[in-house]
Amino acid sequence: MFAQLLHPDVIIGILATGVRLATPFLLAALGEMFAQRSGVYNLGVEGVMMMGAFSGFWVTLTTGSPWLGVLAALLIGAVMGLLMAFISVTLQAEQGISGIGLYMFGWGLAGFLFRLLVGYVTSVDGFHDIPLPGLSRIPVLGTVFFDHNWMVYFSYLLIPITWYILFKTTWGLKVRAVGVTPEAADTLGVSVARIRYTCVIIGSMLAGMAGAFLTLGHTNMYADNITAGRGFIAVALVYFGRWTPLGIAGGALLFSTVDALQLWIQVLGIDIPYEFPVMAPYVLTIIVLALVSGRIWQPAALGRPFDREG
Amino acid sequence: MKRWSWILIVVLLLTTVLTACGGKQEAQTEKIRLALILPSTIDDMAWSQSMYEGVMAVQKEMGEDKMEVAVSERLGNPVDAGAAIRQYADQGYNIIIAHGSQYQNVLEEIAPDYPDVSFAYGTGYEAHDNIFAYDPQAQEGAYLQGIIAGMMTKSNIIGVVGPVEAGDAIKYNYGFQQGVEAVNPDAEVRIAYTGSFGDIAKAAELAKAHMDAGADFLTGTAQQVVGAINAAKEHGGVYWLSNDMDQSSLAPETVISAQVYHWEKVVQQIIDAHQKGETGKHIVLSFANGALELKYNPQLESQIPQEVKDAVEQAKQQIIDGTLTVKLPEN
Repeated sequence: MFAQLLHPDVIIGILATGVRLATPFLLAALGEMFAQRSGVYNLGVEGVMMMGAFSGFWVTLTTGSPWLGVLAALLIGAVMGLLMAFISVTLQAEQGISGIGLYMFGWGLAGFLFRLLVGYVTSVDGFHDIPLPGLSRIPVLGTVFFDHNWMVYFSYLLIPITWYILFKTTWGLKVRAVGVTPEAADTLGVSVARIRYTCVIIGSMLAGMAGAFLTLGHTNMYADNITAGRGFIAVALVYFGRWTPLGIAGGALLFSTVDALQLWIQVLGIDIPYEFPVMAPYVLTIIVLALVSGRIWQPAALGRPFDREG
Repeated sequence: MKRWSWILIVVLLLTTVLTACGGKQEAQTEKIRLALILPSTIDDMAWSQSMYEGVMAVQKEMGEDKMEVAVSERLGNPVDAGAAIRQYADQGYNIIIAHGSQYQNVLEEIAPDYPDVSFAYGTGYEAHDNIFAYDPQAQEGAYLQGIIAGMMTKSNIIGVVGPVEAGDAIKYNYGFQQGVEAVNPDAEVRIAYTGSFGDIAKAAELAKAHMDAGADFLTGTAQQVVGAINAAKEHGGVYWLSNDMDQSSLAPETVISAQVYHWEKVVQQIIDAHQKGETGKHIVLSFANGALELKYNPQLESQIPQEVKDAVEQAKQQIIDGTLTVKLPEN
């Protein structure tokens, strides 16, 4: 019964699907990693993704250019990040609550704007797959990794890039310092507020881009609630990956590949009640989290507003 | 200027109040105030939009002065919907339609508190007192579409993009399988579910997996299918059989046929029953009573062989006159 799953075409199909499905998680979670490394957790990722998905879609629909669409999603992400940073850093509001507020704001606003500006289901010409010359010819690996659109490639390039920035640059060191002991960083002349603002805005821009991937690099359309909880999974993946790019990438790929596997199990008509495949990625994530949570490290100042006087 | 606008507002308010009072005194046929609770949005191109259009059609026929419509969208969660339903009932709406099987329990709880209000939900069949249940026989059109797919498929692989195994989806998929089986026992119907009603990205991915696995005919239910239809359109070389409403405008080269729900007939029946003061009924949508319809996409109709159309027509007549019953799962 499971023999069909071992067919090379099926394995390639599963892995390629997994790589594609991981893209929005990678973008959003690597961005959220910066915010959390600096001490701010932004639970509003889902709302930012919704706004990114909508603005990317709408700009593409009106201008015909998905590149302008992605730009719009990045800008909207930056604005929403600025809002979140203002509330959580400057006003020092409780981060969990303000993040949920940002989520509801983005979710509602995206639906409202869609009704106002579009109002019907339609599709756009999004980004096309660009098979990388040479690389895409490699058996198996070629189709799995090198036959996607540029946003997929970009999200994988982000893994080493964010790793380098976070661990090999002075700025990355400041981010990590601010997230652990903001008081010490402050005495050394690091502006805690500026670092946190920057990190939250970067994270939010990547979340906006993750949303735009759904509308411009995946489905080429917009519908209500298109993010379907992916923003919250991205936040969970940051914990799962222990605030490191490699850990997050591993988590995102694991989750997405199991998700792809379960789709194929169903498609091939393997006779298991469908509820089991559908919940498999979530169950697996919970199991892994439970296994690794023993000595879990987290940025010590995560969720703690910084007040020089306080 | 400012004073004038104030006077204007007062006059307007007074007129409204006075006309409202006047209306009440001479009301012979009570104005219908209908509230519609939707799990997704009025432009979802599927389940919710089809019902919304049905309600609007009835309103157009009755006239806006005789029927007032209020809509609340995105209330997929029955608990949130319950709050909205109570508010509508308190505000004096006399017909409240909660468009989904998930609202049954909520209505059971609320309806006894408002005996003068008529409530409706569906897909469902348990109707009593002031609760109406409407019940599209989705399996009937599904059977007919199964005949189309079964006779026309070349790969003998047919993919179903399902939402959650419940209500309408079960009936549709069950009927569809029987239709395919009746004309082409060698064809394989592969049913898969996304586990969601609205995740269009997942639906698109599921459609891609079906097509990669060789399916050349695809079908599915719920509002998420728009993602799958678009994936099929971009893939090319496959046909989509749509449900709920005619979705061919999304992909004129891909959507070959549609089972269309004529909700306006259901809404009209509920209004009539309400006005006559009748108790809740089980309202069936079927081919026999004309509330279901199979539509071919005019742009692709020429690609359907005559023998397929004949087989569909014959089965449709048999369903209508009762010689063919499309089975439903037992329970």
